[in-house]
Amino acid sequence: MSVAKSASRRASRLTTVGPGAEAVFHLILGLFSLACVVPFIFVIIISFSSEPAIRANGFSFLPAAWSLDAYRFVMRLGDQLWRSYFNSFFITVVGTALSVLICVLYAYPLFRRDYKYRGFFTFFSFFTTLFGGGLVPTYMVSKFMLGLSDNYAALIVPLLVSPFYIIVMRTFYSSTVPEALIESASIDGSGEYRTLFQIILPICLPGIATIALLNALAYWNEWFIAMLYITKPQYIPLQYLLMRMQNQADFLARNSSMIGAEAVNLVANQPTETLRMALVVFIVLPIACAYPFFQRFIISGLTIGSVKG
Amino acid sequence: MKRILAFALTLALLTLSLAGVALAADDPSEEVTIRWMLDGSNVTDDSAVLEAVNAYLKEKINAKLEVIWGTWGDFDNNSVLNINSGADIDIYFTCSWSANEYSAYAKKGAWVRLDDPANNLLEKYAPNLFTVLPPVLAEGAKVEGADGVGVYGLPGYKEVAQQYTWDINTPLLTELGYSVDDVSDFYAFGDILAKAKEAKGADFYPLNIEGAVLERMVNHSDIVDTNLLLSFEFDPVNPAQSEAVIKSRYETDGYKKFVEKVREYYQAGYINPDMANHESSGPARTNAQLSGAYLIGTQTYAPGYDRQASQERGFEVTFKPAQAGIISTTSARGAMMAISSASKHPERALQFLALLNTDPYLFTLLAYGVEGVHYNLQDGKVAFTDKRQDYLPWRNGLGNITQLPLTVDDDPDIWEKFAKFNDAQGVPLLGFAFDATPVETEMTALINAANEYADPLNAGVVDPAEKLPEFIAKLKANGIDKVLEEANTQLQAFLAAKGN
Repeated sequence: MSVAKSASRRASRLTTVGPGAEAVFHLILGLFSLACVVPFIFVIIISFSSEPAIRANGFSFLPAAWSLDAYRFVMRLGDQLWRSYFNSFFITVVGTALSVLICVLYAYPLFRRDYKYRGFFTFFSFFTTLFGGGLVPTYMVSKFMLGLSDNYAALIVPLLVSPFYIIVMRTFYSSTVPEALIESASIDGSGEYRTLFQIILPICLPGIATIALLNALAYWNEWFIAMLYITKPQYIPLQYLLMRMQNQADFLARNSSMIGAEAVNLVANQPTETLRMALVVFIVLPIACAYPFFQRFIISGLTIGSVKG
Repeated sequence: MKRILAFALTLALLTLSLAGVALAADDPSEEVTIRWMLDGSNVTDDSAVLEAVNAYLKEKINAKLEVIWGTWGDFDNNSVLNINSGADIDIYFTCSWSANEYSAYAKKGAWVRLDDPANNLLEKYAPNLFTVLPPVLAEGAKVEGADGVGVYGLPGYKEVAQQYTWDINTPLLTELGYSVDDVSDFYAFGDILAKAKEAKGADFYPLNIEGAVLERMVNHSDIVDTNLLLSFEFDPVNPAQSEAVIKSRYETDGYKKFVEKVREYYQAGYINPDMANHESSGPARTNAQLSGAYLIGTQTYAPGYDRQASQERGFEVTFKPAQAGIISTTSARGAMMAISSASKHPERALQFLALLNTDPYLFTLLAYGVEGVHYNLQDGKVAFTDKRQDYLPWRNGLGNITQLPLTVDDDPDIWEKFAKFNDAQGVPLLGFAFDATPVETEMTALINAANEYADPLNAGVVDPAEKLPEFIAKLKANGIDKVLEEANTQLQAFLAAKGN
């Protein structure tokens, strides 16, 4: 790190812009990051606002009254909340581990020039990004033939292989790993497995971390698959729990006149706006905490190369 | 390769699932599982209920029940996917407003025809059913499906009629020196609203409306298509005598007069600007209702609801009819159960449905839960326990709710009121459902236009002098006339068939 820093200090005179321009850039970037952070801060504030205050004045950065009610309600969701929390963690951890493994293993031969069926397998994965089976056939195959219904596999398997990440990973290999490295490893008597796991993968950690982060985000935020394949409450992940509340509120807003008198009762008993915001906080926090962890690898990856000189 | 294989297997599966229907007559000695997909439920623990239900069903029809508790949020998507993929589900909730719309899916062959002359399941397994349910429901359930005109689903018996009412904040109205009788003509609300606004200040919006509902209330126009492009105007006093003709909703003189008045009220500050779109209008309306920050609102009415609303909001709410109640296709098909043509045991499924609609024990069990667990009886009335929170199906979506015992919160006369309310007149269009398939291309563009203009116009947020002609021009350009002609042709054919 320190080496990199002093190097950048030395180079700084050459790469700096004038103070005026720098101020403008800072301003633009500052505003941009503010635009990203403010909505989330707003969500947190709403989740701590009192419901009657919202009813009276609408959303506000400085609510007339604060309240912990939303969080008390969330806690009262009780078992379902913790169960869904566990489900989300479980599918994220297992799913990310498996999909990263598959991605790394699939991309590696595609990067090796000496692999005979390279062209075919590249096309094989790429092809699926061009043509999909359509919703109903996919649903039928997944649910009835593969049995992906009301189990954890239903939440994990559909996202397991992503052609896009395979392409990213392959590109990462070819830009990071010099052919000479593999050659010298094999001359030193390293077998294919040892070469991959002990020599190539350690220098590819930044790429793996990137893929892992994207995968983890995908698994953590997935709700559509849960909507399709999950009906039993014990498998519902957190995002879908929230999404269902949201869909339900939207549906009742649109169709209340069709459902008749009971709808108004239902609307009145809907989870409140503050409750939904509190759930958003619950969902975002863990993944926000995971970010710095991955970031360490990504940044260090930018500064460390395998071949010096 | 993978895709070809998947395609071939899908085909094979389809053939199998289709072949499954033709299989085997029902063997009563074999225990079967009936899978049932419902809408609008909020159920996290059904174990106690299903245990009791299954013990009872085993003895009655030698079947087990498995319920898929769909919610408002996921039912539309899931039911359509399951139907299209021929999933192993025996009974679906269906109705006139869900994604698996009753008449459209009957036409597609998704439901088993129950009164098929070749195999009249209704006669065989549920002979008494339509003597329990009002005849008007049977009429509403008749539809032109894949196997001819007939009954493809069993209507639930809930509020069958439909009536729009003015939702009145009674204490506030009295405070202002008016009585409920003064609230009748929308076009004469001006003075009352002005007085309310003056008394309560600038942030108070006395008219708490759902624009589309208000429009139907004021113009006495019923729904023909779910996108509200077409309307059928009925006689507010004698609905059965109405002229059977379909109109283009936004092109009538009545509509023009209505939006001009709404605009006037809006500019006077009587309507909350949030009413301009679906996303913000729902929460804003609910907030105003719960906090009592309104004077007059719009409400689809059902017996017992005034009591419920008063309890919920903490002040006396009056619902004053804006017109006579009517029975229309939409209201008669408000909640139904259809047996899937992919069902392996349609006979047993129908036996279950017959039992559900005629056996108070079974229905109470499914709607209210287990006595001693989800509720206790106090003087013969149902008092719910905390466990009820884990088991909240959509009661009115289940079936014949008039079998239920009273709850402690119910009006003691609720079922008599129900019977009286449901004794409304059927409109001439009862049973008619517009099939939009022949004009699908036109519909898409028209729906887009309606989405853009209708809500803001109905709430008075935009100026009708400028926007209404623009809207109508857009409707004309996208072929509303063709749609209208098609609808009236279909209606004439329907009336002719009904006349025979």
